[in-house]
Amino acid sequence: MTAADKTIMSAVDPRDAGTQLRPGLWQTINERYPGSMIRKESFVPQARLAKPLAASRLTLVSSCGVHLKSDQHLDVCHPFGDFRFMRVPSRAKHDDLIIHQLKYPHDDADLDINVIFPIERLQELCQEGRLGGLTPNFFSFIGYSMDPEKFERTVAAGIAEAVVREERADCALLAPA
Amino acid sequence: MSVPYLREAAAQDDLGKLVRFVRLHLGDGNEAVGKEEIDRSWAETIKILLRDQPVDREFIAQVLEKDESTLALLFYHLHFYLIRKSGRWIHDGSR
Repeated sequence: MTAADKTIMSAVDPRDAGTQLRPGLWQTINERYPGSMIRKESFVPQARLAKPLAASRLTLVSSCGVHLKSDQHLDVCHPFGDFRFMRVPSRAKHDDLIIHQLKYPHDDADLDINVIFPIERLQELCQEGRLGGLTPNFFSFIGYSMDPEKFERTVAAGIAEAVVREERADCALLAPA
Repeated sequence: MSVPYLREAAAQDDLGKLVRFVRLHLGDGNEAVGKEEIDRSWAETIKILLRDQPVDREFIAQVLEKDESTLALLFYHLHFYLIRKSGRWIHDGSR
């Protein structure tokens, strides 16, 4: 265990302390991408589960750019990113899906989509009764974006709206690519 | 380099910043790779045109009637198409 791990483990729960889960994260990102990317000084509260997982309806949101093979592809060429998101039926299987995204290696995920988008694992947890249910649709988008403000207005707001109002999820699993 | 950064560069006609962004984008974060990609895609057009095959000039004329945003994005699609054709594809992690 590293010193950083010990610090994290011994820290007060950020949901109680009202602090960022990873203090300094945004500063680190802005150091790596100078003059750009994300400025998010305001605290984003972490919500507690209102009921046990076995009674909760879960959705999955990922920046991996996965979608049904039959869907129109996301635009991987646009230099600023594609500000759309895809609905992925939660009943879909590996063979129904394709990753259409540049910028990160997905060789292993092409062999088993669950590496990055654990849809079949969640189906199993549901069948075993460890999850109360899955929303009819999961969500995916291209993580590459050069306009965080537009991203927040379009993709993030659109998914949040759909997760709450259309899918009526109790909780969401976020899977970054 | 975010869109606000690029808007500022565009307003100042700062070619250096704009070109650097394009190279970084096409080189997946590596400016030298991006520069080589741009050169390679243009070289690929010459290789193709050297085959001296018939071309659909009517189609080109129709495409050029489109709005400039569509045409600018098409430029990137053509670049990636040509890079894929060149056999030097690096962008999907299939090293």
